[in-house]
Amino acid sequence: MANSSTNKINLNNVYKKFITDPENMQPVLGDVSLQIEENEFVVLLGRSGCGKTTLLNIVAGLEIATSGKVQVDGIDVTGPGRGKGMVFQQGALFPWLNAEQNIQFAARKQGLNVEQSKELSRKLLLLVGLAGAEKKYPIELSGGMQQRVAIARALALDPQILLMDEPFGALDELTRIEMQNELLRVWSLKQKTVVFVTHSIWEGLMLADRIIVLAPRPGRIVLEKKIDRQRPRKRSDPMLIELYEEIWTSLQ
Amino acid sequence: MKDFHFQSISKRINLYGLMGILMLLMFWELSARWIWQDIQVLPSPIQCMDMAWQVLTAQELVIHIAASLSRILIGFTFAAVIGVSLGIAVGWYQYLGLAFKPILELLRPIPPLAWIPMAIVWFGLGEPSKWFVIFLGSFFPIFTNAWRGMVGIPPVILRAAQTMDAEGFELLLKVAIPAALPDIATGLRVAFGLAFGILVAAELIASDSGLGYMIMQSRETSRLGVAIFGILLIGFLSMLADDILARLMKKFVSRGRY
Amino acid sequence: MNNKIKSLLIPLIVLTVFLLSWELASFWGYLKPTRFPAPSKLLMSFLDLTFSGYPADVTIDQHLLKTIERIIIGFLLSVCLGVPLGLLIGGFQALDRLTSTIIAFCRSIATLSLLPLAIVWFGTGEQSKIFLIAYGCFWVMLSNVIEAVKQVDPLMMKAAKTMDTDGIELFLKVVLPSALPRIFSGMRISLGVGFMVIVGAEMIGTVIGLGSLIMEARTFYRTDITMVGMLILGLMGFLMTTGLAWVEKKLMPWQQQVHDRTSP
Repeated sequence: MANSSTNKINLNNVYKKFITDPENMQPVLGDVSLQIEENEFVVLLGRSGCGKTTLLNIVAGLEIATSGKVQVDGIDVTGPGRGKGMVFQQGALFPWLNAEQNIQFAARKQGLNVEQSKELSRKLLLLVGLAGAEKKYPIELSGGMQQRVAIARALALDPQILLMDEPFGALDELTRIEMQNELLRVWSLKQKTVVFVTHSIWEGLMLADRIIVLAPRPGRIVLEKKIDRQRPRKRSDPMLIELYEEIWTSLQ
Repeated sequence: MKDFHFQSISKRINLYGLMGILMLLMFWELSARWIWQDIQVLPSPIQCMDMAWQVLTAQELVIHIAASLSRILIGFTFAAVIGVSLGIAVGWYQYLGLAFKPILELLRPIPPLAWIPMAIVWFGLGEPSKWFVIFLGSFFPIFTNAWRGMVGIPPVILRAAQTMDAEGFELLLKVAIPAALPDIATGLRVAFGLAFGILVAAELIASDSGLGYMIMQSRETSRLGVAIFGILLIGFLSMLADDILARLMKKFVSRGRY
Repeated sequence: MNNKIKSLLIPLIVLTVFLLSWELASFWGYLKPTRFPAPSKLLMSFLDLTFSGYPADVTIDQHLLKTIERIIIGFLLSVCLGVPLGLLIGGFQALDRLTSTIIAFCRSIATLSLLPLAIVWFGTGEQSKIFLIAYGCFWVMLSNVIEAVKQVDPLMMKAAKTMDTDGIELFLKVVLPSALPRIFSGMRISLGVGFMVIVGAEMIGTVIGLGSLIMEARTFYRTDITMVGMLILGLMGFLMTTGLAWVEKKLMPWQQQVHDRTSP
C-alpha cells in the first residue's frame, strides 16, 4: 500500500518545465510539495503565471510533470478522467446537448443506463438549483447557470476529487458571490475533496479550509494558511481581514 | 474565427506540402507512362511540357496571358470601385439601402456565367462583354462584404468617436471606413479569386484569345498536354495573385484580423 | 410592427416602380425588344416555355430538372468523397501538412478550365458535366471539412477527457458533433459552387439544361427566353441558399452559421 495513504492528493517535489522554454528561463513549477486530505477544500491562489493552473492540470492528468510524484488515493496519476472531475472557467458544456444530456454524458460514463442517468441528471440539476432547466441548451443559459450545469456534470462522475479552474472568473461580481455560496451549499451536501484555483484573495478566504499561495518564476508555494472559521464567513471578520493583509503582502 | 480560405497561400506551402506535391507528380508521371500509355488521354507531366513547348511560342503564350489578365484587371477594377463605394454608401446611409437593395437582391442570385449571353447581346463578342461578365461576378462579393463591413461596425466605436466631436463625413472617413476595412478587403480578395474562374469560363465559351481559349483550342488540335499546361498555369497564376493580395492586405489593412 | 411593414413595403414599391418604368420604356420604343424585352413579353415567354417548350419542345421544367439533376449528383459525389477524406485529414496533423499545399492548389484551379479535358475523358454526355461539378464541389467540401475538424474547441476535448472519453469515442461523440455545423456550412457553400459551375458547363455541348437554354436562345435572338432563364436560375439559387440555411437552423438550433462570403 502507498505510504501516504491518509492523503487524498499527494504532490511531492513536482517540477514542471516546458520543452519549448529557453534554457535560462525559470520553470513553471519548481519543487512543489503539497498534501491534501480527504474532503478538504483547498484553494490555490496567485497571480497569473504562478503555475496554479498548471499544477491543477497536473493533478487532473491533463499535463504531465517533468519530474516529481503526483498521486491521488495513493495511485500515480497518468492521465485525465478516472474520478478526477473538473470544472473550467468557460463551462465547457457541449453546445449540441442540452443541460440534462450534458450531465447524462458524464453519468453514462459511470456505467449507468439511460433511465438511471436521466434520474441522476434531474437530481443533480435540482441540487444546483436548476430544476426545470433540463431541456435548455447552453446557449440559452446565463453564465452562472452554465457553471451550475458544469458543476452538476462534474458531480455526475461521482468523482474522487473535484478540480476547479477559476470557475467563477468569467462572471460578474454579484453572480460570483452567489455562486460561491451555491458551491458551499452543494459541497456541504456532497462532501468531496476540492482543489480550487483563483486569483481573488476574498474568494479564497470565503471558501477555503486551507489557502496555498503561489508565486511565479519559479512557481513555488510561498504561504500556506489554515482557515479555522465556520462558513458562511463574513467579510467584516477581523481574522479574515488579518489573513487578507498577510496574503496580500506575500503576493508582492 | 479563421476561415480556411483566408489564410495566405504561402503559409500553406511548407516542406511537407512540397513533399506531397512531389509525390503526386511522381505518381502522375509513372502512372501515365506505365498504366495509361495514351498520350491523347493522359500525358505525363513531362509529356505535357513537351507538347506545350512544341506548340506554343513564347510570344503566343504572352499574348494569351496578357489578354486574360487585362480582362480580369479591367473588370475587377470597375467592380472594386463601384462595389466598394456603393457598399459603403448603402451601409452608411440606410435609406439608400432601401432603394437599391431590392434590385440588387433580385440580380445577385443569378450566377455570373448566366450573364454571358446577355453580355454578348448588349456588347457584342469583343472585349467589353468579357469585362461586363467579370464585373458582375466580382461586384456582388465586393458589394456585399463592404456593406456588411459597414453595418457590422461595433456601435460603441462610433459612439466613442462622437464623444470626441467627430461627426458626419469625418466620422465616415476617419472612423467608419477604417473599421470596415478588413471586411472590404476580404470581399476584394474573394472576388478576385472568383474573377479567375469566371474569366476562364467566358474565354472557353466565347472568345478568340486568352488562356481559356488556348485550352479550348488544344482540344481541337488534340494536344491535350497544352490544355493541361494551360490549366495548371491558370491555377498557379490564380494562387500567386491571391497570395500577393493577401500580403498586401496584411500590410495595409489590419494586423489583428488575418 | 410598423418597421416590419415598412421593410416589406418599400422593396415592393421599388420593384414595382422599376418594372413599370421598364415596361413603359419598352412600350414607348425606348428599348429595343432584342436587347431589352419588356416584362410582359418575359411573362408570355415563360408561359410559352412551360407549355410548348424551347428549343424543340423541351419545356422549362425539363430544362430545370436536368440542371438540378446534374448539380445534385455531382454534389452528392463530392460529399461522399469529401467528408470522409476531410475527417481523416483533419484528424491527423501529418496528413494535413502533407496535403494542404496540394489541396490549396487544386482549389485554385478554375473548374471550367477542365471542360476540354472532361470531354476527352468522359465524352460529351452527362458524365463530363457531372465530373466538373463534382470536381468543383469536392475541393471546397474537403477544405471546409478539414477546417471544421481542426477548429474544434480544445476546451471541449479537455472536458471530455476529464470524463474518461478518449480515442474513437472522443472523435465520434465530441469532435464530430462539434464540427458538424461547420461541415453543413461547407455543404451549403459547396452547393453554391456547383450551381455556378453547371451554368457554364451547360453552355457547351448540350441542348437540355438552363445553361444551354439561355445560350441557345441568344443565337436565335430570343433574348426574352434568355432573360426568363436567367431569372429562373436566380430564383433557384435563392431558394437553394435559403432552403439550406433553414435546414441548418432546424438541425442545429444551438449554432450560428458560417457566412459564405461569396453570396448572401
